[in-house]
Amino acid sequence: MAPLRTESVVIVGAGAITPIGSDLDAFWSGLVTGSDGISLIERFPVGDLRVRRGGEIKKLSLPDGASPDGCRASGLLGAAAADLLARTSLDAAPARRAIVVGTALGGVEELERALGPDRTARRAAGAFYDSPAHALARRLDARGPVLTVSTACASGATAIGVGADLLRDDRADLVVAGGYDVLCRFVMRGFDVLRSLTRERVRPFDRRRSGLLLGEGAALVLLARETDAPHERLGRLLGHASASDGSHIAAPDPDGRGLEAAIRAAMRQAGVTAGDVDFVSAHGTATPLNDRIETGVLKRVLGARAGQIPLNSIKGGLGHTMGAAAALEAIMCLLASRHGTIPHTLGLEEPDPECDLDYVPLSPRAARPRLSLSTSAGFGGCNAALVVEGRLA
Amino acid sequence: MRVAGVGLLTGWGEGLAALPAHARRAAGSRSLIPLAAPPLGGERFRRATRECLFGVTAVYALLREAGLGSEAIAGGDTALIYVTAGGYGASNRAFIEAAASAGRESGGALYFPYTAPSAIPAEVTIEFGLRGPYVILIGGAAATIEALGQADRMLAEGTCARALVLAVETFAECADLYARGRWLVEWPLVEAAACALLLPGGNGMMAGPAERASPLEEAVRRRVGETLACAPLIGLALACAAGDDPWELTGQWRGRRLALRGERSPAGPRR
Repeated sequence: MAPLRTESVVIVGAGAITPIGSDLDAFWSGLVTGSDGISLIERFPVGDLRVRRGGEIKKLSLPDGASPDGCRASGLLGAAAADLLARTSLDAAPARRAIVVGTALGGVEELERALGPDRTARRAAGAFYDSPAHALARRLDARGPVLTVSTACASGATAIGVGADLLRDDRADLVVAGGYDVLCRFVMRGFDVLRSLTRERVRPFDRRRSGLLLGEGAALVLLARETDAPHERLGRLLGHASASDGSHIAAPDPDGRGLEAAIRAAMRQAGVTAGDVDFVSAHGTATPLNDRIETGVLKRVLGARAGQIPLNSIKGGLGHTMGAAAALEAIMCLLASRHGTIPHTLGLEEPDPECDLDYVPLSPRAARPRLSLSTSAGFGGCNAALVVEGRLA
Repeated sequence: MRVAGVGLLTGWGEGLAALPAHARRAAGSRSLIPLAAPPLGGERFRRATRECLFGVTAVYALLREAGLGSEAIAGGDTALIYVTAGGYGASNRAFIEAAASAGRESGGALYFPYTAPSAIPAEVTIEFGLRGPYVILIGGAAATIEALGQADRMLAEGTCARALVLAVETFAECADLYARGRWLVEWPLVEAAACALLLPGGNGMMAGPAERASPLEEAVRRRVGETLACAPLIGLALACAAGDDPWELTGQWRGRRLALRGERSPAGPRR
């Protein structure tokens, strides 16, 4: 089925907080210098866990008025929003501002606290996964739609797509969209018992790859219709799509059918073919299964050009930031266009015969991609893809 | 979009016929009306949570209501939009409390994936072979209004040939937490699962702000109780049963109320 091509949406600006940098500039510098944001986790007890490292943000500057014992997820979103607002402005009436954020974990850390000694109503209400989005809406005085998307680790991409649809439907004039997630004991313990975490370095697409490490962060973009957008901008969202695997509760479909469907649909919506794609930001979790499946999917979708298109994974330095990952990766694509540099895949040193594409190993590459494809996947067979066009400097 | 059917389970029973005339009177002193675990068996459902089973059962109820077999929704042309305000609460709590009581391996590898909100729609996609567009929204009734609007957009654009909008809410395992946050919810809390099958046609619809509750929203609250994200789908079932044309659904969550207006007749301009 061929959906109609839809109006592109402008990505006006972005803001972020990550384990390798507390704003967008530091994030980009960290990517191109190969900063490693993985460290021993200090914020909560990990002594009983098999793996005790992750992409933890050591210093979080709280927004004005925020309580130090408040919701960390809201703190991350607030920090990313402050960075976004330092670069752009919300020039729309409050009723025409929308918020769409993606998360895999929402306020689950608040649930842990609500089940502990803190029996307050505030803590209980904070356990809803959509609480941080509503806190952000209050902070930005956004009185239009406020949506939380939770398609696991594809959440950030789906949220940006849903945000673009709100603009196309004239439900808002500006949309703050993106994703976030917090590194907390709940998720560390879950992935620890799943044995998905590596005790070694995160090595996407490397022969020795043995699993992922988790990270935390938040990334937001400001979306506007072409007619409303200022001249200064990061780029455009040309297409987005999602698809389910219908295969397994936790593992990806062995043939990557859902991911392939999402990529093909996003490219159809964008009106582009494999010949137009200059760069791919891969999901690239560094699990043995994901990277092999994703490589196969990209070969099928991109055909003969697959081996000629540079692709990377930035999870080696950040860890897998879950709900934030796809938004960070989409922003990375746009910054690559702006700066004329593709960040390398940190941790990739020994090629895997089963992963035989151009993963930009060892050092950044001087290249200025115009059109990028970003892929994401998550628990529950969630898959999403974005097609973005960077504004060339 | 056109409504091909709505499958409905509530703490009162299956379908509209099970609903009382007045939920509060029927509840008496009970603050929560639980939904019994559906009789889904087999190895694949051995580890599935109660709320996952509700999601799957709601889709089976829809297929019965619409007179369709599973093959009618299988494949890549069916979109699934799932909505819940707190349907993940029970599994999240169980995972946290198991760890606190019995160490790190408890509630472990087999159960952690079920803590994700995506677990419920994942079981639905696996059971019915759904491989189309896939969105999961977190929130109460207003989020379901948004989901119906998203479904209408997908149908209008041709992104899918049909769309399922599914909502599941359970309360029993977190009743004490809901009691603490009672400004967010009304009483009685009624566990529910509902699924609407939507097809192209009719007038385009657009969700938008609403000043006050529609008669359908009031009817759902009066007859069913608090079902959070399920409420608009129950309202849609009531509208279909009553032959309302046009109909107006509203849904409220966290002080925001949205409306969606639709017509049953297939004629009319597309947006």
